[in-house]
Amino acid sequence: MALRPLLPVAAIALAAVALGAAAVWTRTPVVPEERVTHRPIQAGADGYVSSSTCQACHPAQYATWYGSYHRTMTQVATPETVVADFDGVVVDDVHGEPMRLERRGDEFWAEFNDPGAPGPESERPRITRRVVMITGSHHQQIYWYATGHERALNVLPGVYLIADGRWAPRSAVVLHPPNQAVSTVDGHWNAVCIACHTTFPRTRFDTPFLSEPIERQAVDTRAGEFGIACEACHGPGAEHVQAHRNPLERYALHLGDRPDPTIVQPARLDPQRSSQVCGQCHSVWEFYDADGERRANSDGFPYRPGDELRDTRFMPQPMAQRDSPALAAFVERDPAFVTGSFWSDGMIRVSGREYNGLIDSPCFKDATDDARTLSCYSCHTMHKTPDDPRPIAEWAATHQVSAGKDGNDACLACHDLPQGAVTEHTRHAADSSGSACYNCHMPYTSYGLLKAIRSHTISSPSVAESVETGRPNACNLCHVDRTLAWTGAALEAWYGQAQPPLNADERSVSAALLWAMQGDAGQRALAAFALGWAPAQEASGTSWMAPYLAELLNDPYEAVRYIAYRSLRTVPGHAGLEYDYVAGREERVAAALPVLQSWQQRAAAQARRDPALLVDAEGRLMVDRMMGILRQRDNRPLFLRE
Amino acid sequence: MAQVSPPARGSASLTPEAAARRHLRFGWWSLLVFLSLGFTLEMLHGFKVGLYLDASNETRRLMWTLAHAHGGLFGVIHILFGLYLRVAPEAAPRRLPAVSVSLIGASLLLPGGFFLGGVTVYGGDPGLGILAVPAGAALLAVAVYGIARATAAVGGPAAGKGDALRRPRR
Repeated sequence: MALRPLLPVAAIALAAVALGAAAVWTRTPVVPEERVTHRPIQAGADGYVSSSTCQACHPAQYATWYGSYHRTMTQVATPETVVADFDGVVVDDVHGEPMRLERRGDEFWAEFNDPGAPGPESERPRITRRVVMITGSHHQQIYWYATGHERALNVLPGVYLIADGRWAPRSAVVLHPPNQAVSTVDGHWNAVCIACHTTFPRTRFDTPFLSEPIERQAVDTRAGEFGIACEACHGPGAEHVQAHRNPLERYALHLGDRPDPTIVQPARLDPQRSSQVCGQCHSVWEFYDADGERRANSDGFPYRPGDELRDTRFMPQPMAQRDSPALAAFVERDPAFVTGSFWSDGMIRVSGREYNGLIDSPCFKDATDDARTLSCYSCHTMHKTPDDPRPIAEWAATHQVSAGKDGNDACLACHDLPQGAVTEHTRHAADSSGSACYNCHMPYTSYGLLKAIRSHTISSPSVAESVETGRPNACNLCHVDRTLAWTGAALEAWYGQAQPPLNADERSVSAALLWAMQGDAGQRALAAFALGWAPAQEASGTSWMAPYLAELLNDPYEAVRYIAYRSLRTVPGHAGLEYDYVAGREERVAAALPVLQSWQQRAAAQARRDPALLVDAEGRLMVDRMMGILRQRDNRPLFLRE
Repeated sequence: MAQVSPPARGSASLTPEAAARRHLRFGWWSLLVFLSLGFTLEMLHGFKVGLYLDASNETRRLMWTLAHAHGGLFGVIHILFGLYLRVAPEAAPRRLPAVSVSLIGASLLLPGGFFLGGVTVYGGDPGLGILAVPAGAALLAVAVYGIARATAAVGGPAAGKGDALRRPRR
């Protein structure tokens, strides 16, 4: 009887215990990183403490970084991070036999032809492997499987295109020569990708990668943190954390204006050093020698934010190093070292290497004082600022461009043009796309991620450069219906540029069409992109575009076909076009033919009659001329190393 | 309700009844103020005001939430203390004026410090107003110690048959 009043209390306590036990029982056990053996792990060292430590004192900076794509450059494969459906899915869009995907609880598995085995892809043995890591989260997700040899990873034969919600063969998501296998070797992520997809990477091969079969190598790959986190830009944080445990020390910093000597603040570095912080990843670079590579493999990359990047890395600048023995040595070892990433005059032509573009820009290399020197931070910010009204997701999706720096103000901060003088300079209406600084001085002449990217070498339109290098100029990327001769005459009249000698086609046929039909695969991709670019369509009309984009639907390069299809859908009347850019030739032709036929039916009434567009006075396509131009296509194999 | 039997031990200037009135009054007004603050914070949520909700204002949000919670709880404590003094005036703390002032001071400094600390923030650190919080916490400790000591004395062997906290038999 005496215990009776305690019964309700006991019942509540019992229920609480039962609930707690159920919660523990049903939760997925978290395996500590140190005990993970089948993939690279996250482990701090050398003063790297990880972003979770930074979060407590810098919640705003943490939140904006957390919402950025830098964080998700590399992730462990979990139900929260994997975008593609793995639940009993069969993927046909891979080379070789279809890839079969499977969920096993919270694990992701795939059965596919072993990419590491020798021989034709369709004859390689089937293997079933667990997908353990992911790179990418914005445009694509690339899935890495545990090879079974220590922490070595290799890549699934298919890549998931997020916006399209579809799989594509690995060769079809890069600009890569058709019928050539994309390199796939065990340990690829550990040796290559880790450098720029993690913070404080340590490859930890016992002997240099590819120096002997991977099965004989020890692979104990670690990173301070997966993804590009705080310490990638600010340097290791342990000393900073230790120094600021004392609140008096913190408030002395808050209330004073002295810089904190315990951590690197890129915004306080000079423009050269601050840009190198970005350049450690956004550049083409190589180790100076095998010793440097070996040391980096074992101890981690030696560069720390604030250091001189060139102390530990060779940074090719073909524009300035034409006669450099060092560059020549690299080219001798790797003939595509320059041509796979740069235009023939040395300007970078691939995405993700913007630092190479910056350092060749007059706004950077010719600047006389730091306040007027272009740096990455002149236009981009790694943390969305409180005065930026955009949601974090929008800021992240627009390349982390700073508030107000997506227009002419970015340039006018240094290039002081009085109100009204803009038109005088641009010769375009002030509110038109032709008066946007970016469009003329940062045109879409770089390629990457199945699209064109703005050049980060600040330049001015030049027909001579287009003729010499094949690089499209800004004028003809917008006036896609005009010839090089037309552009040359305008540039001469407006800016006194001498007109270079032009051949018959360059004088009489739209430059964009020549790049689309005669150019190398990179030029064709840029031209295909330009035909779908809204300002170009507004300036040049769209009624003539369909035949050329339909032609590009059958380009030998998958990447060109992909871009052409995306552009074609922006041309009125083709939004609903069904087409698969990785389908066989017959299927692709079947999709392209109706486009051509419908254009021919409507052409007489609607299309522009302009010989520069290969449309005659009756509105008919000048097929013979077009075929003649197509026969001159630059078919040299091209792999752009984005 | 038991009859109030002034004067309380060791208190010449503040009777338990006067203290009870003070704390009841302070408690209810305090509740009104800090519940109003809570209402305001909900409005800031409702209208998604960046000043309160932006990632850069996480510390402010924490500080003002703490101010609201502490202020509301202090209001309840004052009301309970006031009722306690009414029910058991003979169990009033020995230094009632000091305890009363300490409790009121804590009720001003603790939530007030949190609130002021959220007005200006430095990343993860609150503004200097936060310095009022430890002072308020010290005053709260003084007040709670005084009350706890008084209740221990009443409930101990010295209380004997006259234990005022014991419910009278019917």
